[in-house]
Amino acid sequence: MVPEPKLSHTAALILKAIHAGDGYGFSVMEMTGLPSGTVYPAMRRLERDGLIRSQWERQAIADADQRPPRKYYKLTRTGQTALEASERRYPLLAKLAAEEVERR
Amino acid sequence: MTIHLAILQCAARLVPGGERADWLAEWRAELWQVQQRGGWRAARFCLGSFRDARWLRRNAPPDAEPRLRLESPTRCLGLLAAAAVACFLLARRFQSAGNPLRPGWQPLVAMLYVAAMSLPILVGTTSLSLGEYPAHRNGRRWAFFAAKIALLLPLVFFGGLAFWTVLGGMSVHCMLVGYVMVFRWAILDQRRRCPECLRLVSHPAPIGEPSHVFLEWYGTEFACVKGHGLLHVPEIPTVSFRTQKWVRLDRSWRALFS
Repeated sequence: MVPEPKLSHTAALILKAIHAGDGYGFSVMEMTGLPSGTVYPAMRRLERDGLIRSQWERQAIADADQRPPRKYYKLTRTGQTALEASERRYPLLAKLAAEEVERR
Repeated sequence: MTIHLAILQCAARLVPGGERADWLAEWRAELWQVQQRGGWRAARFCLGSFRDARWLRRNAPPDAEPRLRLESPTRCLGLLAAAAVACFLLARRFQSAGNPLRPGWQPLVAMLYVAAMSLPILVGTTSLSLGEYPAHRNGRRWAFFAAKIALLLPLVFFGGLAFWTVLGGMSVHCMLVGYVMVFRWAILDQRRRCPECLRLVSHPAPIGEPSHVFLEWYGTEFACVKGHGLLHVPEIPTVSFRTQKWVRLDRSWRALFS
């Protein structure tokens, strides 16, 4: 049986924010309330571990919104499994997504 | 260029060259977002980029790191000595009124005085721990560390004096900042050296998981290229693994590294 990947609370929080939010660094900061010096290195670590992957948005989309192109992060299949396992370990994570939906 | 972009540019210097452009583009895009929401927190946001850049630098594959060829202790001391001599010659070439190299001044006392003034700042900004190492090799390590400090002292002092004509009294402030930076570098460099051969360790490998810190360690493992041992650096210091540890490998392991 493949062991479930386990994450620290902060990593799980960031993973949840990527999944439930817009998926770029500042949106993760806003959702979690964590500082930039914590969020970005954590996202690098998650990407290195294969839990998320990044992709630049197309220039045309950014141009249409009159802003620089963003780098978006998405959960991989392993990341999805890790998040599900983390939600069982940290039930309050689900509240983060609910609050975000409510805020929108 | 705004102060925020200047901070990002400074932090970008820490990022390995191949990833720098992409990293900077991402942070600039994010900064734009922060500024749209209210610029007052943009500076704090930008300062976080140093931690991110440092993480990338630390976890970069060995080939991606900018190389000053300081791996060998001899080459490291040689380069520092050459730089110190160059700074001394520059300081003599550009000596001017008020410059402590004038007859009657005591450059050695002035150098030690400025260096001593930087120590409280260093203590406040840098962890002075050099890690846990076997006691029998400590003499060589300390001798190498002392030699580095002995060469860095004149390097910064004469480097500051070389710009005395341009900066005047501000040179002393530059020396102060310079001493903090070079002493910090000396400590960080010392932490990354094999206690046996004093070469820089390499081949960083992530070990463990953050959620397992109570039962096992989580961090980065470096190896001595000569096979003398492994350096375990904790990512999250815990009570049982507070600082980096050196794991000595016996001779039977050498074949793997040759």
